Amino acid sequence: MPEILTCENITKRFGGLIAVNNVSFSIKEGETLGFIGPNGAGKSTMVNVMSGNLKATHGSIHMDGVEITKMPPHVRVHNGLARTYQIPRPFPELTAIASVVAAVLCGKKRKNQSFDDASSEATHYLEFVGLFSKRNVIAKDLTFYELRMLELARALATTPKLLFIDEVMAGLNPGEANAAVKLVEKAKAQFDLTIFWIEHVMAVLVEAADRIVAIHYGEKIAEGTPDEVVNNDQVIEAYLGKGWRKYA
Amino acid sequence: MVKIDFKRDRINIRWRGGKWDWMIEPRYWRNTFYWTIVLLLLPLFFVYFSPGMAVTMVSANVYAALGIPLAFMGLGTGRVNFGPNFYVGVGGYAAALLSLHLGFGQLATLPLAIIITAIAAFIFSPLVIMAKGLYYTLLTLLLPLVFLEVTFIYTDIFKGDVGLFGISPLVDFGSTTANFLGAAYISSVILLIFLLFTNKIMKSRYGLIMATVNDDEEVAQGIGVNINRVKILSFIVAATMIGIIGWFLAHYYGTFSGITYLPLTFMLKILLVLMIGGRAQIFGCVAGGYFVAFLEMILIRTMGDFQPVAFPIILLILLFVLPRGEGLFGLYRRRHYREYFPQTHVRR
Repeated sequence: MPEILTCENITKRFGGLIAVNNVSFSIKEGETLGFIGPNGAGKSTMVNVMSGNLKATHGSIHMDGVEITKMPPHVRVHNGLARTYQIPRPFPELTAIASVVAAVLCGKKRKNQSFDDASSEATHYLEFVGLFSKRNVIAKDLTFYELRMLELARALATTPKLLFIDEVMAGLNPGEANAAVKLVEKAKAQFDLTIFWIEHVMAVLVEAADRIVAIHYGEKIAEGTPDEVVNNDQVIEAYLGKGWRKYA
Repeated sequence: MVKIDFKRDRINIRWRGGKWDWMIEPRYWRNTFYWTIVLLLLPLFFVYFSPGMAVTMVSANVYAALGIPLAFMGLGTGRVNFGPNFYVGVGGYAAALLSLHLGFGQLATLPLAIIITAIAAFIFSPLVIMAKGLYYTLLTLLLPLVFLEVTFIYTDIFKGDVGLFGISPLVDFGSTTANFLGAAYISSVILLIFLLFTNKIMKSRYGLIMATVNDDEEVAQGIGVNINRVKILSFIVAATMIGIIGWFLAHYYGTFSGITYLPLTFMLKILLVLMIGGRAQIFGCVAGGYFVAFLEMILIRTMGDFQPVAFPIILLILLFVLPRGEGLFGLYRRRHYREYFPQTHVRR
């Protein structure tokens, strides 16, 4: 499989604090790449660097062979990169459909698309995530699960090739989390996506991911199939601490 | 090449891979049509009733026409500009100086005043990207005050102390009543153009994009919005609209002085028009503009010296008493739940 995105020696410093240190990996087209690490490992910082919200201190990022390290976030979106947020960030005063219409209009360029055409298309994404009946509800009045689904619909509406999912399970009950995971898998199949899935719940990624990259204190500690990463000593140590190998 | 298709209820316009729909269904235009007729009949009524009322109507139109771009700018940039009167000064002085020194008429100064205000807005537009929160508030607040100082320092050019006199008049029909009527109609037409233009933008895809910028800039970028372009464009367009009012004021009064339009008192009046009419509602600005102008006129006639104290007190009381954020326009029209009602961000 060809590589859709490559990160080479990415380092991100905040003053004296090194949040991400010399991390390199690549995402192959059509796969689900899991990205794990304990709290504070630098996962979200890495996603912010990759999506352009933060600038990398060192290193380079290539997407489809084009260097995107210095591209502003909106141009990366036009090139087919979308993301969801760890804590849902809706447009609080907009209705669900208006948020998705905005994403349809501003995402990947579509020819001959009027405002009404975009509205029709937006209903498709809302229907997909099960929010069609809530299309006229203002985002701040939606429940937490619905906000997560709205984020997913908004990201899908930009017609991405590569979707970053930042901790979709956080704050959901087991039933909702299960539904969310199934929906992500359905979206991957239906919209032909490559998924970069950030999670600190290992069990989810073991089921869903094709490969996993693990980081700890901003450094890559493991990369491989879920089985390889789960049984990696450094990963077990990062999650459970020293001397817990026998319990893992 | 622009391609236009006429459909039953809309006109489809296609140009270079873009497509726009323009609704022509009569029911969408009914209210606009009625209110336009009311606005165009008002000057006739006022001139017949009392020419002084026509003068107040011009002030009301000016206040409303200043509030509309300010609301537009607040939405597109996601922050409140506390110095809109700076662009009144730029537009007004541009028209006045061109008229006095180069002998330009009112029609010749209009495009030049627009260009000069747009250039001034472009020069200061990086503020909407670089300055955040209270820094933006302070910087925008300071701009008109600095300009006021400049008019005093370079008094040989700007005549900061007495103002510039002898600017070519807006209309000259030879009769005072006809001139009042002409000025009232010109101000009404400017107001109508501002209203229709702003309403059309806000109801279109550009309005929605501006709303996303106002709600959350970072997330707007995350769905592909070029936020810097949106903020700078809405800043320049709104500032230029304010500059047009500066041009109007310079030619209407035949005199222009910074001390009238650049101090905080004038700026506060514009902000109050916006807040009392209905926060971030462009039609609310019309209600606010008329209310503030006529209240001011009534208080001047009835209270005399007490007016400068009573006027702000009444406005401040109304600010708290009126429906929160929806203002006078909210009393007339109940807002639908799903309608976009933006937050005004002062401290972003």
